[in-house]
Amino acid sequence: MNRNDEDIIKKDIIPFLSLDIKKIIMNLKPECFNGMEEIRLRCGQPLLLKIGDKDYALDREGNLDESMTRGFVVSAEDIYRSIASISDNSLYAFEEEIGRGFITIPGGHRVGLAGQVVLSGTEVRTMKDFSSIAFRVAREIKDCAKGVLPYVYPRDLEPVNTLFISAPRCGKTTILRDVARSLSLGTSRGRGCNVVVIDERSELAGTYQGRAQMDVGPRTDVLDSCPKARGMIMAIRSLSPHVLITDEIGRHEDIEAILECMNAGAAVITSIHARNIEEAQKRPLMRELLATGAFENLIVLSRRCGPGTIEQVVRRDVLCCG
Amino acid sequence: MLWLKTMGIVLVVSGFGSYGLMGARSIEKRVEQIRNIRLAMGFLEKEITYLHTPLPTALCRAAQSVPAPARRLFTDCSQSLQDRQGITVSEAWTQSLEKLRHSSDLTKLDLQLLQSLSSQMGMSGVEEQKKLFGLIQEQLKIQEEKARCELESGRKIRSYGGFILGATVVLLLI
Repeated sequence: MNRNDEDIIKKDIIPFLSLDIKKIIMNLKPECFNGMEEIRLRCGQPLLLKIGDKDYALDREGNLDESMTRGFVVSAEDIYRSIASISDNSLYAFEEEIGRGFITIPGGHRVGLAGQVVLSGTEVRTMKDFSSIAFRVAREIKDCAKGVLPYVYPRDLEPVNTLFISAPRCGKTTILRDVARSLSLGTSRGRGCNVVVIDERSELAGTYQGRAQMDVGPRTDVLDSCPKARGMIMAIRSLSPHVLITDEIGRHEDIEAILECMNAGAAVITSIHARNIEEAQKRPLMRELLATGAFENLIVLSRRCGPGTIEQVVRRDVLCCG
Repeated sequence: MLWLKTMGIVLVVSGFGSYGLMGARSIEKRVEQIRNIRLAMGFLEKEITYLHTPLPTALCRAAQSVPAPARRLFTDCSQSLQDRQGITVSEAWTQSLEKLRHSSDLTKLDLQLLQSLSSQMGMSGVEEQKKLFGLIQEQLKIQEEKARCELESGRKIRSYGGFILGATVVLLLI
């Protein structure tokens, strides 16, 4: 059963906020929780909520203000207390995550961090003197991938290579997660198959302390925080997957790994950032990848009728003819 | 009347004497307590730097390695953090030290030294934590050495001093 937004935010996110902010958000009217996507704390700036497509400042009484003139101003103390709570007062235990710019909290919600970056040589080692925190509400919407499953899994144990094309915040991660769950569980068209999720940014499975917080299915293995290219090869060698699922490809090595996996008997389902196929083809690496004809389906998502709207489905045969 | 006087003398001398002996015992206990806290700090450092154990759990494990009252310092702090009432490690550590002040034989200086940990404990990277715990253990070792030096002379002064003071009071009263 899908949890409602108010329950998710009150139980999973609010406990990690400073006491002042906790009280303010608890004053919010229940309907304001619906569609809340982000809670942003920026030092010296108003407390912001992203609800749907709009940003609102929140005042002490829990009133939303779109003009952002009378919001509660977040202090350095609020940021410090929230960071202490998120990290369980143990920043050292999250050094790697902080170096990547985010920490995942129970429930699979991602907390983005900004502050002074500490370098070790040319690598980002960690961050200190935090100045802002962004809580991104992760939602698990079961069966949201129903519309794409006939394309992705047309025959028993034969999922096909699929690329989701979508601008940010159009629901591709939520759909990919549900694709993983459905393929793993089995659909009316085929039995459940072995799925490996390569979750470089801990978004798909929302892994916290080694456990997937989202339902990604009973036959799914998760390689958490693993670079996509390396993870795909590792999975092929050791986990005998029918399908590999990963998010937001874009580097040269990702594309090489995808081609290698496709020729090793595993289907690859992945996504890229672009508004449509034409825009994707303007990126040299994507153009190269699409030209190989590796993907049997290209599925374009948008927010036109809410996140996860299927805008266009292009099959390879059509693409080749086109 | 003589028996009453004798009784009074015995009571005064033994009262002052006992107070002196308690003082001597307190000096001994202080050395032991500093040592235990230093050992627990070493344990905590390893939990943090090698195992990256979250602080509430690391404190709880460090507590298991030493007896009371050092154990209570770590247990109380761990408990306050695990309660998740929005308390920071600095506040939890300060509260635990306040409780320790009443139940231990540590001096103000010892407690100040431990208080210096509060602002940084847990709230920086592994390397910084390693340096912090290395430093505090060094300082505790110095404090322990000082306490040990004070032990020999202090113990005698307090043990005998109590009885001598008692006797002096008796002489003055007579």
